[in-house]
Amino acid sequence: MSLLGILAEAWRTLASHRGRASMTLFGVVWGTAAVIFLTSWGAGVQTMVERGFFRSGRNLTQVWPGRVRAEFSPAVDRRFLWFTNDDVLALRRRARLPDRIAGESSAHRGISFRERMRTLDVRGVEPVLQEMRGVTIAAGRGLGPQDQLQRRRVALLGVDARTRLLGAAGGVGSWIRIEGKPFQVVGLLARVGTQLSRDSSALDEQVWVPLSTYQGFWPAPWTEETVVGRIVFRIPDRNRLLEAQHEVRAILAERLRVPPDDDEAVGMFSSVEMLNRLGSERFTAVLFVLAVTTLGIGGIGVLTLMLDAVHERRQEIGLRLALGARPRDVLRQFFLETLVITLGGGVLGVLLGVGACLVLARIPAPDLVPLPELSPRIVVVAIACMATIGLAAALAPARRAMAVDPSIALRQE
Amino acid sequence: MSAAPLIALEGVRKTYAMGRAEVQALRGVDLAIGSGELVAIMGPSGSGKTTLLEILGCLSRPSAGRYQLEGRDVSQAEPDALAQLRGERIGFVFQSFNLLPRLTAAENVELPLLYRRVARAERRRRALAALAQVGLTERAAHLPAELSGGERQRVAIARALVNQPTLLLADEPTGNLDSRTGAEIMELLHGLHRGGRTVVIVTHDPAIGASADRCVTIRDGTIAADEPAP
Repeated sequence: MSLLGILAEAWRTLASHRGRASMTLFGVVWGTAAVIFLTSWGAGVQTMVERGFFRSGRNLTQVWPGRVRAEFSPAVDRRFLWFTNDDVLALRRRARLPDRIAGESSAHRGISFRERMRTLDVRGVEPVLQEMRGVTIAAGRGLGPQDQLQRRRVALLGVDARTRLLGAAGGVGSWIRIEGKPFQVVGLLARVGTQLSRDSSALDEQVWVPLSTYQGFWPAPWTEETVVGRIVFRIPDRNRLLEAQHEVRAILAERLRVPPDDDEAVGMFSSVEMLNRLGSERFTAVLFVLAVTTLGIGGIGVLTLMLDAVHERRQEIGLRLALGARPRDVLRQFFLETLVITLGGGVLGVLLGVGACLVLARIPAPDLVPLPELSPRIVVVAIACMATIGLAAALAPARRAMAVDPSIALRQE
Repeated sequence: MSAAPLIALEGVRKTYAMGRAEVQALRGVDLAIGSGELVAIMGPSGSGKTTLLEILGCLSRPSAGRYQLEGRDVSQAEPDALAQLRGERIGFVFQSFNLLPRLTAAENVELPLLYRRVARAERRRRALAALAQVGLTERAAHLPAELSGGERQRVAIARALVNQPTLLLADEPTGNLDSRTGAEIMELLHGLHRGGRTVVIVTHDPAIGASADRCVTIRDGTIAADEPAP
């Protein structure tokens, strides 16, 4: 049979079961569209989650000092540990896996601007932390090495910190007082947006000053050492997170003279870990399975439709066999007919799914609302699923058609 | 009769399983039909006529016994080989014509050629020649629904002839036709017989039996009588 003949037969089968055929085809169309749309959307969610977790910096790990175990010191107030500038320097010298390391100290402090008084998260940061956090300067300048070296009294303001503290009256060049100490605002940070992971406050609400200045004004009361509140490091390869954490912990443990496996002594948190634990890949996989199931149900619809068609047309099949058709000719005819029906629905489904993704992706959405992210790979996977299900659905009707007894041609009603 | 008959059945049996019971449709049939004969097979309903026709037409294989067609034993032939025999050696004419309603007369006639991989133009040429043989040239482009009963059966006969088969098998070819049209169809079959073709007709109609060279009567799955027509 020619391809045209097969197309015509497929069309006739559909036309003679109009109601059922349209529902069956709808199943295939919808299933294929769902595979494309949901998988794309899952990819969008994944990107959104990743962006949300990395808003305060990509592949960062925070390290904070904890306390030694009770075996070493029974007195609670003698058991706490702290990091110093030397620890940061030692890490920079010895740790191989992180590519950036910075110290940071912070506390909520009262800040005044003219008559206004606000309590904000004030952070002493090493200049490299600006790059690690991935912030951009909206106005003025960022913190430079000279600010750090000379302990300058300069400050960067997050968007919300600026609004709350300066209002419309101030900007770059304004003088503010942090717990009475005068600082000049030298730069404003661009909006960071919604963070899915934050350390006590959002970046947009923070006030950044040079770490050295911070340490000078607000030293630790219990020691002469230059204390650093926490250490932040970045790794270039996300898959080596555990290795990197292990390396950093070992170096710090040695310096603090605690066992290297004591995670109470050196605490760590990474948004990478969070991201992995959330398992948005698994979420996408679940969506994919749901969509493929829908497509499979569509395939079962085609299967039963074609089984009925074979039953209705067994007289015709018997006749074709009597006229010299080999069983495999009949097999091929029904196999291709079923495949044509599935593929027809599938092509419509691909168009629908791709169309829905393209239309939705154009809609302007608020910050961190996931939009479908279509990729050629998704379309290829959807077509492969659809073709596989089409082949599976075509097999049984074709085999049943092949098994029709040719003598039925003589035994008609 | 020539030394090697066209058809030779020896002790042919056909058993069907009907649930637990076994139905013996044919219980040992011996039959030889020579090339160029016109044979009528008669018998009451359920006697095994149709089963015999099935076996003669290579639509099913005998459960036991031997069937030789043109000297070749086909009793155990594989499905593909049987399909090839049906396509090349045998032409079927059915009681209710068995035309595909969606195809034109010419397309229906072309069907057997389709499975022999005949090229399109050649198919059309041969189909029109076969339609001319049954006097329906001008009806080639009509659908079965647009044809009368007699015309439909002529299309079916043209389809049976299009592969130049050695054996024409007709199952109650006049059963669905009025007597005048039936007579025309019989005249057509007689004409083909006179042209040298072997024709086997299964029928209830004694008049058809009487008009054949030879009349075989089946009863309870065996041949009850095999006599030249009076």
